Amino acid sequence: MSKLGVFDVSVRYGKVPALTDVSFTVEEGERMFISGPNGAGKSSLLKAICGAVPTTHGRIEVDGDMLNGRSPEVIARLGLTMVPEGREIFGTLTVEENLRVGTGIRPDKPAVETDIDEVYQSFPILGERRHTNAGALSGGQQQMLAIGRGLMTNPKLMLVDEPSLGLAPNIVDQVYDTLVNLQNDRGLTLIIVEQSSARAARVGGRMVLLRGGSVVGDGDAAKFAESDLLKEAYFGQNKAEDAT
Amino acid sequence: MNAIPQLFFDAMSLGGIYAMAALGIALIFGVMKLVNFAHGEYIAFCVFALIVPSTDAVAVMFLGKAPAFLLIPTLLLIGAAVAVASEFFVFRHMRNATPVAMMISSFALGFVIQNILLVVFSSRPKAVSLWPELNQPVSIAGASIPLLQLIVILSTLIVVVTLAVLLKRTRIGLEMRAAAENFTMARLLGVRANVVITGAFALSGALAAAVALIMVTQTGVADIRMGGQIMLVAFIATVIGGLGSLPGAVAAGFLIGAASVILQGFLPLEARPFRDAFLFTLVIVSLLLRPEGLFAPRSSKPRV
Amino acid sequence: MAQSHKQKRLSAWSTPLLLIAILLVFTLLVTVLGDKPLARMAAQTLIRVTFVVGLWIFVGNSGVVSFGHAGYMAIGAYCSAWLTLRPQMKGMFLPDLWPFLANAEWHVFPAAVASGLLAAFVALISGAAILRLTGIAASIATFAFLAIVYTIYSSWEGVTGATSSVVGLTRYANQWVTFGWASVTVLAAAWYANSASGLALRASREDEVAADASGINMYRHRLLSLVVSAFFTGVAGALFAHSLGVLNPNSFYLGITFITLAMLVVGGIGSLTGAVTGVLVLSIIIEALVRMERGMTIGETTLALPTGAQEIIIGIIMILVLIIRPAGLTGGRELRLRIGGRGQT
Ligand SMILES: Nc1ncnc2c1ncn2[C@@H]1O[C@H](COP(=O)(O)OP(=O)(O)OP(=O)(O)O)[C@@H](O)[C@H]1O
Ligand SMILES: [Mg+2]
Repeated sequence: MSKLGVFDVSVRYGKVPALTDVSFTVEEGERMFISGPNGAGKSSLLKAICGAVPTTHGRIEVDGDMLNGRSPEVIARLGLTMVPEGREIFGTLTVEENLRVGTGIRPDKPAVETDIDEVYQSFPILGERRHTNAGALSGGQQQMLAIGRGLMTNPKLMLVDEPSLGLAPNIVDQVYDTLVNLQNDRGLTLIIVEQSSARAARVGGRMVLLRGGSVVGDGDAAKFAESDLLKEAYFGQNKAEDAT
Repeated sequence: MNAIPQLFFDAMSLGGIYAMAALGIALIFGVMKLVNFAHGEYIAFCVFALIVPSTDAVAVMFLGKAPAFLLIPTLLLIGAAVAVASEFFVFRHMRNATPVAMMISSFALGFVIQNILLVVFSSRPKAVSLWPELNQPVSIAGASIPLLQLIVILSTLIVVVTLAVLLKRTRIGLEMRAAAENFTMARLLGVRANVVITGAFALSGALAAAVALIMVTQTGVADIRMGGQIMLVAFIATVIGGLGSLPGAVAAGFLIGAASVILQGFLPLEARPFRDAFLFTLVIVSLLLRPEGLFAPRSSKPRV
Repeated sequence: MAQSHKQKRLSAWSTPLLLIAILLVFTLLVTVLGDKPLARMAAQTLIRVTFVVGLWIFVGNSGVVSFGHAGYMAIGAYCSAWLTLRPQMKGMFLPDLWPFLANAEWHVFPAAVASGLLAAFVALISGAAILRLTGIAASIATFAFLAIVYTIYSSWEGVTGATSSVVGLTRYANQWVTFGWASVTVLAAAWYANSASGLALRASREDEVAADASGINMYRHRLLSLVVSAFFTGVAGALFAHSLGVLNPNSFYLGITFITLAMLVVGGIGSLTGAVTGVLVLSIIIEALVRMERGMTIGETTLALPTGAQEIIIGIIMILVLIIRPAGLTGGRELRLRIGGRGQT
C-alpha cells in the first residue's frame, strides 16, 4: 500500500479552481519534489492533503485511511506534518515553545526531550536562541524553526512548502542535508515543493510537475532538469508530455 | 484622614475588578476573535447562583451558605460551566461565521441569560450579605481601607499571576497561546480546536465567577442589571488594551478604574452624575488616537 | 441597453413601493379588524419600522454594526418633548430648560422634523469622530456613544427629568401617522441605497482594495449615511414619545438596542426588505408573546408566560437565525417587480 494516495483531487476557492483532478501516489520512504510555476497549485495541494483546505472532488489516503473531511488536528495524529509556505511560526512564543506546540500528539513523551536536542544539533542557532521570541529570528532562522517544529511531531510523512524560499544558498544546502539525513535516519516520507529543478536534481528524488492545477509531468528529478519539459511547464503554451 | 492613599486603594480595587472582567473577554477574543457581550451575564449568573431563587428583596443564601473553601471553587466551576455551555450551544455552531455575526449572537445570548435570571429572581435588586466581616476597615498609611479592598487587590494579583503561570507553564496554556496567534497552524500541529476553545471559555467563566464574588461582597447587592454595567466597562478596557491582549486588558482595567476614581474624586459635584459620560468619551478619544489599543505594540502582538 | 437600464431603475424603485403597500395592508387590516390595543400595537410596529429602516440606512450600507442608534432615538424623543409639552408642565418638571425651549409650544409635526434634525446633527458630530474607526472598533465606539447619551439623559435632572418619567405628551402618533413616517423612511432608505453614495458604500464593502484606495471618500459616505440614518431614528424617537405619552431614558438603552438589532438580523442586514420583514415578523411574535405573558385561559387553568420569557424567546430566535441562516430570512434579497422581466422574485 502506498504511503500517500491522491486520486482525482480538485480544490477551488469560491469559483476559482486551484487544482483539477490531480492524482499520484507516494511510497513509504520516498522523496518527492513538486514543482511548477507560481499559481500552479503546489501550496493548495499540500494544504488539501493536510486538511487545511477542503477538497471539492476526489480522495486522499494515508496508509489507506481516507483523509477527506477530517480536520487538520486529526490528520496530524496520523503522522502527517506540514511546514507551510511563509513559515507561519508563532512569533509571540519562544523558539522552544514553538518546538513544543506539536508534541502534544506524541505518545512517546520521554523522546521529546532528546528530539529537541536533536533539532538544536541540526540547527545550533535555534539552541542558542531557545528562549527568545521566535518573532525576533531572521527569515532563515524562522525557516529552520518551522522545519524543526514539524519534526517535533515525529511525523511519518512530512510536507515541506518551498524550504529554500529566501534562504542563502549555503543555508539551503544545510536545510536539505538535514532533511535528507532525517529521512535516512527515520524512514520519513518527504514531499517538498521546490521551484529549482537544479536543486531537486542535486538532492535527488522523484518530481511531479504541476501547471494550472494539473499534473503535467511525473518522473526522476534529474531527468527533468535536462529535459525541456520544465521550461515548457513554466513558459510553454502546449501541455507537456509525461517524462517517464 | 489621608485622601491620596484612599484614592489609590479605591482605584486599585475598582481597577482590579475591571481588569479581571476584561481578562475574561480578552481571552476569548484572543482565541476565537469573538467579542463576547455575554460575559457580563456570566458574572450576574454567578452572583445569583449564590442565593435561593425568590422574588424577595432580601436574599436567602443558597450556595452562599457554604464555607469559603467550598464556595469559591464551586462558584468558579459554575462560572466555567456556564461559559462552556454557551460555547457548546451557541458559538460552536458559528465557527465559520463573521466576527460581527458572532458578536451579535453573544449580545443575544447575554439577553437570554439576563432574562432567565429575571424570570427566576424578578427584577428587584436583592440585599446579599456575603462575608460582611470583610467590610471592616483597616488603617494603612493614614487611610482607613476596608479589608475587602486589600483582599480584592490581592486576589486580582493572585488571579493574574495564576493565569500567567497557567498560560506560560501548562500544555493547554501553550496551545491556547499558539492558537490565539495562528489557529490554522496550531491545528496543523495537532492542537485540538475544541479543547483550546473550551479551555478558553472555562477560564473566562471562572474569571467571571471571581469578579462576581468580589462584586457581591463589596456591594452587597444582587441585581440582574449588574452584568450589563460591568460588561460595558470591562469590554471597553479590553478594547483600550488592544483586543485580545491579556496584559493590555489588565493594564487598561486598572487605568479605567483609576480614571473613574479620579473623575469621581475631582469632578465638580454637579458633574459627578455624568462621570460615566466623561469616561466613555475618554474611551472614544483613546480609540481614535490608538485604534489598535493603547497597550498594543505596533507590529507584533504582545506576549503573555 | 438604455431601456434595460431604465428597467433596472424602475425595478429598484418597485422595492420601496411594494414594502409600503405591505405596510398599508397591515395598517388597514389592523384598523378594520382590530381593537384599540391592536391599533396601538400597529403604531408601535410602524415606529419600529421607522427606527429599524433608519438603522438599516447606516448598517445595511456601511456594514458597520451600530449599537448607538437608541441614543439618536433618545435625542429625538426628548427633543420633541421639549418642543411640544405645555410650558407649565415644563416649568414644573423640567425647570432647567433654556428659555427658548421652556416657552416653546410647537406643533407636533415640525417638532418631529426638528427632533430628526437634532439627532442628525448629533450624528454628524459623533460620527465625525466614531467613523474614523473601522470594523469592531467602530462598533465598540457606537456602544460607548450609547452609554454617553444614556448617562447624560438619565442624570440631567432639570432638563430631562433624569430617571423619573416625563409625562403628559400628546398621544398623536396613531397607526396612520406612524404609517406615514414609516413610508417616508422606506422611500428615503431606497433613495439613499440607490444614490451614488449608497452604491459606493456597498461596493466598497465587497471590494476592500477599492475601499482602501478611496478611503477618504468612504469616510464621507459613511458619515452621510449615518446622518440620514440618525434623522429617521430621531423621528422614530419623537413618534415613540407621542405614542406612549411617557418618556424614560431606560426606554432607549440596551433593551431597544437588542430588539431592533434582532429585527435587523432576523430579517437580513443585507436588504431593505430584510429590515421591514424583520420588524413585522418579530413584532407579531412579540405581540403573541405579550398576550401569553398576560395569560391565556385554556379550560379551567390560566397559563401565563413569566415576564422576560419574551426576551428569552426572541434571543433564541435571533441566535438560531444567526446559526442557520446568517444572511437572515430574506438572505439579503430585495422584494421587487422585474419590470419587463418574468415578474416577482
Ligand atoms: N486563499 C485563497 N483564496 C483564493 N484563491 C487562492 C487562495 N490561495 C490560492 N489561491 C489561488 O489558487 C491558485 C493556486 O495557488 P497556490 O498558492 O496553490 O499556488 P502555488 O503553486 O503554491 O504558487 P507559488 O509558487 O506562488 O507559491 C492561484 O491561482 C491562487 O490565486
Ligand atoms: Mg505556494
